Amino acid sequence: MIQLTNVSKIYSNGARALVDISLKIDKGEFVFLVGPSGAGKSTLIRLLYREELPTRGQVSMNGKNLLRMREREVPQLRRNIGVIFQDFRLLPNKTVFENVAFALEVIGVSRREVKGRAKAAIELVGLAKKENAFPGELSGGEQQRVSVARAIVNNPSLLVADEPTGNLDPETAWDIMELLYNINKRGTTVVMATHARDIVDQMQKRVIAIEDGKVARDEQRGAYGYDA
Amino acid sequence: MTLNTLEYIAREVFSSIRRNVWLSLASVLTVMISLVILGASILFLLNASNLAENFESQLEIAVFAEDDLTTLQVEALGNRLKGLTGVQSVEFTSKEQALQEFSKSMSSKSIISDLGDTNPLPDKYTVRVTDPQQVGSIAADIDSMTGVENVVYGNQYIDVLLKFTNWLRWAGIIIVLAFASAALVLISLNIKMNVFSRRREIQIMKLVGASNGFIRWPFLIEGMILGLVGGVLSILIVGFGYNWLVGNIQSTLVFIPVVAEGTLIWQVLGILVLTGMALGAAGSAISLRKFLKA
Repeated sequence: MIQLTNVSKIYSNGARALVDISLKIDKGEFVFLVGPSGAGKSTLIRLLYREELPTRGQVSMNGKNLLRMREREVPQLRRNIGVIFQDFRLLPNKTVFENVAFALEVIGVSRREVKGRAKAAIELVGLAKKENAFPGELSGGEQQRVSVARAIVNNPSLLVADEPTGNLDPETAWDIMELLYNINKRGTTVVMATHARDIVDQMQKRVIAIEDGKVARDEQRGAYGYDA
Repeated sequence: MTLNTLEYIAREVFSSIRRNVWLSLASVLTVMISLVILGASILFLLNASNLAENFESQLEIAVFAEDDLTTLQVEALGNRLKGLTGVQSVEFTSKEQALQEFSKSMSSKSIISDLGDTNPLPDKYTVRVTDPQQVGSIAADIDSMTGVENVVYGNQYIDVLLKFTNWLRWAGIIIVLAFASAALVLISLNIKMNVFSRRREIQIMKLVGASNGFIRWPFLIEGMILGLVGGVLSILIVGFGYNWLVGNIQSTLVFIPVVAEGTLIWQVLGILVLTGMALGAAGSAISLRKFLKA
């Protein structure tokens, strides 16, 4: 599904975020990206939803080359990818329902369909009772649930998450992981960058460790493998 | 574009204006003030050039024939004057007509009889030229023609007048350009603030796959609506203000020719509204370009 071939990313300030990375992620996989801060995990994530382009090498998604993609094809790509961030990135002046519905409205889905699909996604993340609350009235875990609902409301085939549990206490983090696990069970590929050792160790999924911009380790049913 | 999209855009624009009432108000007022100044400048320019044309059209060359010419020779002189390039019209005043006019202006019936049979006034041609700038050179040409006694064209003040009217025109154009660019800068600044205050929304829209066109439309339409409102306010002020001013000038300073032609004024007001909308849309587009990249 995702293929990176000899990918390097050097930022304009000279920082070498990724160095000659090649990897392949199949449809339906659940992949953890681990490694020290600044090792290049976030850069790798951003390459996947084409927020950035590699300096060298190729990235392809479902057989489509992201480098050769035209600017106006990018929205279509992103409609097939859900993205979750550590800081949730919700709109503070929209309710839970509006935040989720927003993702459908802006791609031109009909109003009736928006309502049904947004409600279904909110229900899936267990926030049906709070759909009229504003993000400021919710706990961190609940806000992250909203952002998960927003990410999956389009039925994307890929879900990428950049430290989705980074701002949450361990218990809430596990709630989110259960959500992601269930979403993955339904066939969505999940790629998640994380520092959460417990989660990685217990989930027993594929682990790709990035160090100094290179793949240091790539194991099926792997462990977190760092002390800190 | 689907109906859903239109509905979404309408809702976005409305809620955005409502949410940023003060910013929207500031934008409208900026557009309004800029356009009032722009409108006033255009009307000033129209009047300045109207005034200049009015002055210039009054410029004429008086050509006095030599006293000892025969009627035929005087006629021939007239034909030669008509044949000169740059001459618009030639009008003949015979010495008899001149004398009569002179006596009328003296408001004395007896002057012709007082003079007896002698008429000291010469035959005169009044020459108007097509281009006022060439009055001087044409007058010099005429002066060197045979049979011409004297040429009078007010050369003492014509240069000054031409300089003044030219200056008026340039001043008007420069004022219009200066204020038009000031308006554009202020409006795009306002919309940039508006876009900046919603950069999170734009970021998320891009993340979930909204097309650039989709992101751009609400801002463009918002800019155009703000520009339109500012434009309408400005034409109310400029329209009523000018009407009042023209009324006053026409009743007190009768000798100053003002432009009071209805269609021309409406054209100016129409230009203001369209400029307002165009400025709003252009300002939005300029401000959005950076945010929509990559």
